[in-house]
Amino acid sequence: MIVVATNLTYFLAWGFLDPRNNYVGRRPPLSEEQVVQLLQPRNLSDTVPLLERWWSWFSAIIFGWDWGVSPVGQSVNDQVAYRMWVSAELVLGATILATVLGIALGVYTASRQYKIADRIGQATSIVTMNINIVVAALGIVLLAIGFNNMVGTTVFFVTGSSSLGVTGFFPIIIDALQHLILPTIALVIIGYAGTHFLQRSLLLDNINADYVRTARAKGLTKAQAIRKHALRTSLIPVATQVAFTIPTVFMGAILTESIFGWNGMGRYFLETIAKNDIHGTVAIAAFGAVLTAIGALLADIAVVVLDPRVRVS
Amino acid sequence: MTNALLSVRDLKVSFPSETGTVDAVRGISFDLEAGRTLGIVGESGSGKSVTSLAIMGLLDENVRVSGSITFDGQELLGKSDKQLSAIRGNGLAMIFQDPLSSLTPVFSIGDQLIEALTVHRKLSKRAAWARAVELLETVGLPNPEGRMKSFPHEFSGGMRQRVVIAIAMANKPKLIIADEPTTALDVTIQAQILDLIAKAQSETGAAVIMITHDMGVVAKTADDVLVMYAGKPVEKAPVHELFHRTRMPYSIGLLGAIPRVDKAEKQPLIPVKGNPPLLINLPDACPFATRCPIAIDACHTREPDLVSVDNDEVGEHKTACIRSHEITDGGLIDGHPVFPVPDIPERALAGVPREDRPVTLEVRNLTKTFPLMKGAFLKRKVGEVHAIRGISFDIREGETMAIVGESGCGKTTTLLQIMDLVEQVDGDILLGGTSVADVRGGHAERTLRRDIQIVFQDPMGALDPRMTVADIIAEPLRAIGTKKAGSETRVDELMDLVGLDPTHSNRFPSAFSGGQRQRIGIARALATSPKIVVLDEPVSALDVSIQAGVINLLDELKAKLGLSYLFVAHDLSVVRHIADRVAVMYLGAFVEHGSVDEIFEDPQHPYTQALLSAIPIPDPDVERTRERIVLSGDLASATDQVGGCSFASRCQLFKVLPPEKQARCLGEVPPLTGPENAHRNACHFR
Repeated sequence: MIVVATNLTYFLAWGFLDPRNNYVGRRPPLSEEQVVQLLQPRNLSDTVPLLERWWSWFSAIIFGWDWGVSPVGQSVNDQVAYRMWVSAELVLGATILATVLGIALGVYTASRQYKIADRIGQATSIVTMNINIVVAALGIVLLAIGFNNMVGTTVFFVTGSSSLGVTGFFPIIIDALQHLILPTIALVIIGYAGTHFLQRSLLLDNINADYVRTARAKGLTKAQAIRKHALRTSLIPVATQVAFTIPTVFMGAILTESIFGWNGMGRYFLETIAKNDIHGTVAIAAFGAVLTAIGALLADIAVVVLDPRVRVS
Repeated sequence: MTNALLSVRDLKVSFPSETGTVDAVRGISFDLEAGRTLGIVGESGSGKSVTSLAIMGLLDENVRVSGSITFDGQELLGKSDKQLSAIRGNGLAMIFQDPLSSLTPVFSIGDQLIEALTVHRKLSKRAAWARAVELLETVGLPNPEGRMKSFPHEFSGGMRQRVVIAIAMANKPKLIIADEPTTALDVTIQAQILDLIAKAQSETGAAVIMITHDMGVVAKTADDVLVMYAGKPVEKAPVHELFHRTRMPYSIGLLGAIPRVDKAEKQPLIPVKGNPPLLINLPDACPFATRCPIAIDACHTREPDLVSVDNDEVGEHKTACIRSHEITDGGLIDGHPVFPVPDIPERALAGVPREDRPVTLEVRNLTKTFPLMKGAFLKRKVGEVHAIRGISFDIREGETMAIVGESGCGKTTTLLQIMDLVEQVDGDILLGGTSVADVRGGHAERTLRRDIQIVFQDPMGALDPRMTVADIIAEPLRAIGTKKAGSETRVDELMDLVGLDPTHSNRFPSAFSGGQRQRIGIARALATSPKIVVLDEPVSALDVSIQAGVINLLDELKAKLGLSYLFVAHDLSVVRHIADRVAVMYLGAFVEHGSVDEIFEDPQHPYTQALLSAIPIPDPDVERTRERIVLSGDLASATDQVGGCSFASRCQLFKVLPPEKQARCLGEVPPLTGPENAHRNACHFR
């Protein structure tokens, strides 16, 4: 499926993007031969028949794991390999935090349905869920700058994913955390509420189930019965949902990356399209497809871990 | 004060609802000593389950509980959830109604059982495992060691209830509360489970509170009985006293409303008119007065207290009725029965012998198999489920044919095959002489369908909540093309026929009670003037006092309209009361078929015998002395194509047969033999 989707994207990309456009506005204008000369070695010239272009692109991937180069000659492989980790650093931490926070809040508020804690939790989540990422990110940036000024040193970096010239294991980690903390907070704030609501309503469905009552009749306290018996069954759909959001957050953190100046996959996606970088666009599509497959796989693994009934059959 | 294990004093439970505060329990007091069984009976909404949950401390936090519950010297009310959880499952255990949902689906049986042990005591893993295996063995699960790792969905309802009982027994409790423990189970399994609870009680010496709506179960298990109505006990007595010297009109009504499996003569059941009151802002009057046939003015002025009746029998007999002392044994007052016996019109066809009546439905060699598929992507057939293995019967005009059997035996599939008018490969379904194989095209099918209609089990789910009653009843009329004006008069006529007020026809189903909704369902079935009505467990979802009214209605309609019924039920008492002919079904085939009296008086097939002996009879003297056959195991799987008798694995006769005869049971499928139309059975040796 991934192979088919990727190849399809290749042809679609050729239908919409034209690397030649990159040279249209040049002063002095480039002659036809010059453009072809620039593009042909990069396998981006439309003078070569499409099928032939496709085959040299595809065979390079199959035989040499070479995803081609951009119109200016950058290797797609290098770009993706670098940016992938930047994105992962940003997104994975935020996703895990948002999920844990969402589930914890879901359990906490569901056990106290319609009480004051539940009402406050719900109201807060409704507000945060509706905050735009731009507003959240800029707000946090302002707060962080204020904090930095107050303390007098730069505790939080507001742009970039790392500082130049930092060496040593611990300094690098501390530096990374200093950069990471603000965008992560921004992503968690807007992301946790969905999980919270889902977990809360699913748990409420299960909290009055007969088997939770049985568990309490055995001698478990209400909180124990909920944590052990009700939560396990209600986690299954949540885990599935979270696993499937991984590709979306990976590719979709475009605004966060732009605001905080991170060179992640989301920004790369925008750039490739803007620069008519056919090979880059296709590589991103392939990357997305792989992530979706991984997400589906993770969802299945989560279900198998949580629900032993699947294992038996 | 006494040496009672549990003593409840003036327990009151109320909880908020949208329409006001519901007083679910309005003052209940009793003492229970170790080793004794208290039966609490009452209809749904009478507060019996709420009482048990209040004792366990499992009610919601917004529920207000007052009074006093002393268990083993400790006051339970006012304890925190944490303090209570030390007692729950340890000294105080509970068995719940629905075994299908009372076990956590994602944990293994062993884990759930071990949890019940380790939550109260420090046990090594090995010791807990060993004790859990021992418990599973006590409750009679085959291969307990291997079953420890199984999950609840691999078990049948009866087996799951055994596990729930094992969990309840785990810490040798002093009190076991059983809340309708057998209501969701088949009769043969019910007998096994009740025996098991008795065994658990004798092994642990525990006191038991048996909550049920089934007077038969009470007669079998209880020492003392508490009858509850509208959140209050209305009669309290030792079991023999209660059944033989009933003094409260409601208890008399409850007992009179139950069809008896051991009584042959067909007298109409005595329904209790009306419905239980809503427990919101009850006036200070006897809550039963509006339904009571002997209510006097004084009943409406003050709610009677529970006071002793002057009886010289052992034990205390209390009632909450100001006219109790006027009532004598057998439910008589001034020499007349408390509840007047309703008249049922004599059947016009009663005098005509069966052979001379026309056949309305004939089924010849009905079979149904479902393919069994396996594989995630490519489904391949790995076997067949033989849901129906070739059954034949006929129903004549004005006759009720009942199919009985445990769940999973193929009763409902049979009905659906007939209702769907499914063309048979090697058999036939004939409706009034027309074969379904000859029916071609929509018009012919619709004409045929007029003659056969169905009434479903669940009166709540079977009616569209967004249609008015008039629309529901008129729908089949519209389907066959009756004009609007004609259908309106017909709806009024039908509502009158089933005992509903025709002026209520513009209301929605939610405005009606369960019994009334079932009447709507019957009216809808009768709209097209069918010759045969298929009844799929029509009264099993209703309370006994309501059930009696619906059964009487069915009797009355049969007599008035000359209907034939095809009746499916698992409650054999109801079948005995309503049916003319009975077929006993086991694993998709009839094992015995004949007239109702023949089958009930002289059951021949071992399965029928076991089925009949498993039904608890609402009379403690009869119930505790009779011999019973308790079947072992569950219904076998319908997937295996058995070479011999499908019942052999559970058969009590098979076990005592000599080996050469056993070989015949295993090697040869027994056909239905015996006099045609009278009494046939499918057993080699009967």
